[in-house]
Amino acid sequence: MADNLADTTIIESAAPARRTGMLWRILRLWRMYAALDLAFIAADLKLACIYVFSDAITSIALVTGMLLLAERFAGIGPWSQIQIIFMLGYATTVSGLLNTFFGYNVLMISRRIGRGQLDHTLIQPQPMLVSLLTEGFVPFSGSANLLCGIGLLIWAMAGLALPITTGWIVLLLINIFASVASVLAFSFLWGSLAFWAPRAAEEISSSATQLLDQLKSFPLDGLSPVLLGGLMTVVPVGMVAWSPCRALLGIDAAPYAGWITPFVALLLSLFTILIFRKGMHNYERTGSQRYSNLGHRG
Amino acid sequence: MNALDHNATATSDIAVELVDVYKTFRQKQRSERLLDTLSSMLRPKVREVRALRGVNLQIRRGEVVAYAGPNGAGKSTTVKLLSGLLSPDSGSVRSLGMDPVRERARYVSRIGVVFGQRTELWIDHPVAASFEWKRVVWDIPRQRYEHMKGLMQEVLGLGDFFNSLTRELSLGQKMRAELGLALLHEPEILFLDEPTLGLDVLAKRMILDFIKHLNQTQQVTIMVTSHDMAELEQLAGRIVMIDQGAIAFDGSFVRLRQDVTDQRQLVLETAETVPPVLHGATLVKSEIGRHEYVFDAAQTRIATLLEQAASQTQILDVETHRAPIDEVIADIYRAWRKP
Repeated sequence: MADNLADTTIIESAAPARRTGMLWRILRLWRMYAALDLAFIAADLKLACIYVFSDAITSIALVTGMLLLAERFAGIGPWSQIQIIFMLGYATTVSGLLNTFFGYNVLMISRRIGRGQLDHTLIQPQPMLVSLLTEGFVPFSGSANLLCGIGLLIWAMAGLALPITTGWIVLLLINIFASVASVLAFSFLWGSLAFWAPRAAEEISSSATQLLDQLKSFPLDGLSPVLLGGLMTVVPVGMVAWSPCRALLGIDAAPYAGWITPFVALLLSLFTILIFRKGMHNYERTGSQRYSNLGHRG
Repeated sequence: MNALDHNATATSDIAVELVDVYKTFRQKQRSERLLDTLSSMLRPKVREVRALRGVNLQIRRGEVVAYAGPNGAGKSTTVKLLSGLLSPDSGSVRSLGMDPVRERARYVSRIGVVFGQRTELWIDHPVAASFEWKRVVWDIPRQRYEHMKGLMQEVLGLGDFFNSLTRELSLGQKMRAELGLALLHEPEILFLDEPTLGLDVLAKRMILDFIKHLNQTQQVTIMVTSHDMAELEQLAGRIVMIDQGAIAFDGSFVRLRQDVTDQRQLVLETAETVPPVLHGATLVKSEIGRHEYVFDAAQTRIATLLEQAASQTQILDVETHRAPIDEVIADIYRAWRKP
């Protein structure tokens, strides 16, 4: 301990977010978390391969039922077989992105809140948003779903009669982003309950996302307007794949159809931010009443 | 026991300042009776727990302060307030001139926090990976990082297990790595909440030596909570004792002993098995010519006791001991608990 603390560069580290731009910081953190994830995989390659392989099998199993139904009946309702494959690819890509970017229980935020693990986030010298956007980035161990989803999408796009233009690709990406935001917002919205009931609501994000996950592959055509309205807003299953795919594939020909999911995602996100902030204020007042390190960094 | 024997100093010299801080938690009460459980669903019974009641505390830069108190006294609440994890109901909390909650991101880059029962280490990765993680998240300049990493490896002896998986380390090794990680960004204040909990004697010794060394060489302000009073006495010149949310003592360990009682132990070995009768001392134990007494050194001089003993029997050996600090504190806690 030769050097004097006084000559150190505390000032330099005092406001990292100020020194570097937020986006640059996020990219830098993603790179670091990717390296951590790669090191985790590389530490036991055999185990990692089994892990990724089993993840891929689960992901394929999840969509196979719907795929077989579409095959057996030469499509479902207004959806042709190839359109069903596109929707399944879209839904799997959304799940894959969530798994890849929001691992370590960031997606299952109620676990972090309920287990008192937000304290770990709060002692990091950066906005909480940056921590939550980056901490769960696991591009190697969590990307099996994403690869399956992209594969299905490419397969479907090759067989679609639609002209694939740049504008269409941009709309596809915007909708995928909006679908990811919808699921994330839904999980955080319900997960916020853990601020007030840490023990009772610890698993609520997991239940909320499972609900969306299990229903995401079903075409919702033919449902009553009330039920459909509910599945587009209260439980936004329709936003995970059905509504954006209808728009992208031209099944819903309304000119605004491609913007329904981004619009709902925006509203849901704003509402979630409001509730989550209220939860954070409560956390600030009450702190974490319980603590468990389960699922935290490992 | 309400002594505040440290003098107020210039504001710039103050690292931590709590002024009239109150914090109350609400705890839902549950009953084992089914009827009560059902009725509490509609009208929950809530008990208010006053964790802090008008706490005033100042810590000067470079000071090591032991923060002690029985379970539930408010120690962890204070550390959480100072770590930016909790806001007070009323009163003011300032540390390094900042509000820890409102200026959280800027503030936490200048402090280090170690909770004995929590870890910042990535358990499925080597210690080295956690250090690299800290470098990026805390945005530590590469040169400073390399310097501090080397320093921590050397002083805390991390070299042997720096590349081992964290989950495979012993508790002592983990705590050393945890301390190294907490200090990597060269914090100005270090909050240590039970840093030696569950460690063996050797690991504890190493951690304590390191903390002392850190304060002496780097002038890092340290606030440490522990239930191990002997350990706190070795570390800190000043002890702040909290009981039921209020500061009950703030001063040196020497003052603490004097204020409570300067209780000492006297052990006499005599030629005869019958213990001598000493006025001003209480016989605690006597076996085969070895007699143990306790006495208050503030009331009775040891020379007087030895004169009394020598007049009654032949003294073969004499030992005197101060009462262990744990016993002194236990007496204090017992006194606080008396209605």
